[in-house]
Amino acid sequence: MKVRILRKRPTEDRQYWEEFIYEGPSDISVAGMLDDLNYKDDIVNAAGENVPRIAWECSCLQGMCGGCAMVINGRPALACETFVRDLGDEITIRPLSKFHVINDLVIDRSIIHENALKVNDYIKEYKPSPPKEYEHQYAAAKCLKCGLCLEVCPNYMKGDRFYGALFANDCYLIATRSDVYNRDIKKDYDRHFAAGCSKSLACVEVCPMKIPTLSSMAKLNRKRQD
Amino acid sequence: MAESTNRTNANNRTVLVVGSGISGMTAAIALAEKGIRSILVSPFVSERSQSVMAAGGINAALDNMGEGDSVDKHIEDTLKGGCMIAGRDAVAGLCTSAPDIIRWLEKLGVVFTLNKNGKIDQRAFGGQSCRRTCYCGASTGKQIVSALVMECRRYEAMGLIERRLWNDFHSGLIRGGKCYGALLFNEARASLEAVYADAVIMATGGQNALFGKTTGSTQCDGYAAGRLFMQGAALKNLEFIQYHPTTMETSQKRMLISEAARGEGGRLYYEEDGKRVYFMEERFGSRGNLMPRDIVSRCMEETGKDIFLDVTHLGPDVIVAKIPEVRDLCLKYAGLDIKKESIPVKPSVHFFMGGLAADENHETNIENLYAVGECASRYHGANRLGGNSLLAAVHSGKTAASAIAASPAAADEGNAEASDLFAEYIQTEEEKIIRDFSSESKFPVMYIRDMAAEIMNTELGIVRDGDSLRKGISGLDYYIDIASRIRYDSSVLEYFNYSLPAILNLAKATMLSALERKESRGAHIRSDYPEASDEYAAGSLIMYNGGQFDITYDREGRFEH
Repeated sequence: MKVRILRKRPTEDRQYWEEFIYEGPSDISVAGMLDDLNYKDDIVNAAGENVPRIAWECSCLQGMCGGCAMVINGRPALACETFVRDLGDEITIRPLSKFHVINDLVIDRSIIHENALKVNDYIKEYKPSPPKEYEHQYAAAKCLKCGLCLEVCPNYMKGDRFYGALFANDCYLIATRSDVYNRDIKKDYDRHFAAGCSKSLACVEVCPMKIPTLSSMAKLNRKRQD
Repeated sequence: MAESTNRTNANNRTVLVVGSGISGMTAAIALAEKGIRSILVSPFVSERSQSVMAAGGINAALDNMGEGDSVDKHIEDTLKGGCMIAGRDAVAGLCTSAPDIIRWLEKLGVVFTLNKNGKIDQRAFGGQSCRRTCYCGASTGKQIVSALVMECRRYEAMGLIERRLWNDFHSGLIRGGKCYGALLFNEARASLEAVYADAVIMATGGQNALFGKTTGSTQCDGYAAGRLFMQGAALKNLEFIQYHPTTMETSQKRMLISEAARGEGGRLYYEEDGKRVYFMEERFGSRGNLMPRDIVSRCMEETGKDIFLDVTHLGPDVIVAKIPEVRDLCLKYAGLDIKKESIPVKPSVHFFMGGLAADENHETNIENLYAVGECASRYHGANRLGGNSLLAAVHSGKTAASAIAASPAAADEGNAEASDLFAEYIQTEEEKIIRDFSSESKFPVMYIRDMAAEIMNTELGIVRDGDSLRKGISGLDYYIDIASRIRYDSSVLEYFNYSLPAILNLAKATMLSALERKESRGAHIRSDYPEASDEYAAGSLIMYNGGQFDITYDREGRFEH
């Protein structure tokens, strides 16, 4: 099976495509396949040349850390949850396009954290919320910060103004649990999410944790009118 | 300089925290609460830390289930689970702080699952005399990480915590038994940076990668502990490695089947003559499936049979409500419907009771160098109870922070003096890295790491003996020798090159510790010494002296009493 990967050396700027031949089983995730290509005595490309091992961010290998978000056959997804058997005869992999590429498939997602920091996105004074919110809060706190929702979003570009769905979910968490801060966070939500969201809801579709972003939005929009 | 006198002021101190999982973040937050600034360093963001994988829960004797639980019972269970070699004072500190830790986490926004009375629900985990494990649905570790990330942000905004990503630990800046900071390596810039600090807290997790792929994160490779060991730090209890009884083989790794599956009533069995044998229940009665992990793993190994975990009798409602993560995992990675089928399980490497020897302040034998979380060895003795690792992660982070806050700040050595002290060392290490980049080697680093992992898995299994351990040590010696002669494998990142010798030496130290302990206790099972022996009723300590490994036993309780 042919596997094409968009690569980049850590100390160079240029990206380039490289082709590999994968001969292992298809009942394996893309993460497992990348490991299979990497962990042989030698790594050779389809032309038989020795090449650097493929760099990709990985920690848990089971859909809990969000490290391996990448674009597989045109579809942004976690590599550890995408199976080779579902991908046809040829696999094309490239890094997420909305972040700076560090090395091969490794990207710098610091902007997610930096934006949260810019608006002081944290609970100031904790206020217990009604238990009916717990399930929603639990779901929102499962966010991996993997960046898939930003990759598919038609409104998110570089994150300089519009911060995307993961920010909306953080806003919800703060608004329902912070006593002194919920008014400010609603302003930030308006400025950095509501004002820019065209409601394509691609973010909801792509989320590996199935976070109910639409409910977070509905609750914040409602609170805004309070 | 006269102006530097107020370096003794808490607010002028800087602490370097290496690792940003639960224990590292807790330490940074606890320091910030006391007005002390910290630099929180990690290669990746906290969301990638192994902490997010801790699904099960966190222990605290809240007695929310009305079973008469108490801190004393928690202490006794933990000591007994650890086969009586953990320090009583250490364990008492851990268990006493637990209820406050739960309240602290709740205040930071951790969403614990509640029982029908509206209190935090508590479930049964192995080795407990009462239901004691608090949990957040199926993702306790992740929920705690999310809350701590937000709380860290509060102090980042105030300038009390500075996060630095894309940095790998390289080595400690250590002279005369004292730590002055650390060297960090930045892969994108291919350069080393010295960070001087009043104290360094290591929070780098367990040494999973010694065994290749385990249930844990691929990021936890033990390098930092191995390197500090080679720089003079004492390591403790390395031979105690927890095999989690229920893991499932898949094409990409061994997946952990949470202890919650047995806590909710899952049963272990094997098949003989077409009949199911519930071997744990036959041996230990109705709570047999929930014996401590070392005992369950050992019993499974002794059957010599394929073991299965059955949860079908719990019914779909309980499965969906209580162990949805187990259902999802089995379905996704094994095509298995646990509502209808049993899960094939096998014990596999899961947790390291051993690591950097840490005293009651979580300080190592090197002054100003602290260790917290799984990379530190404390509380768990010869075997850790489920639900105690998240607790120890938070407790140790807070303990180290309090100790640093309480200690008098170093007034004498400023950064200028320290940088003079290490100028030559830093230059030598820089030259090594430049030399790496200008050379080539045909001996792949990944191949050596794989071979070492194979040796560890083969010769240091659940059951060991002197012959297998000696064989393992000579195998590792061969690769240590090669690693000292190869230069650079350009197919991998520089980190994998410079980390190799320390990882191999840590592997060897582990084997030697296992060889020296001539008894069976907890997770350390010797077929040639099947009984526990009073002679070894203490933690083992191993030190590295220029290629020489020296082992002693901490009978006086220098580190843990």
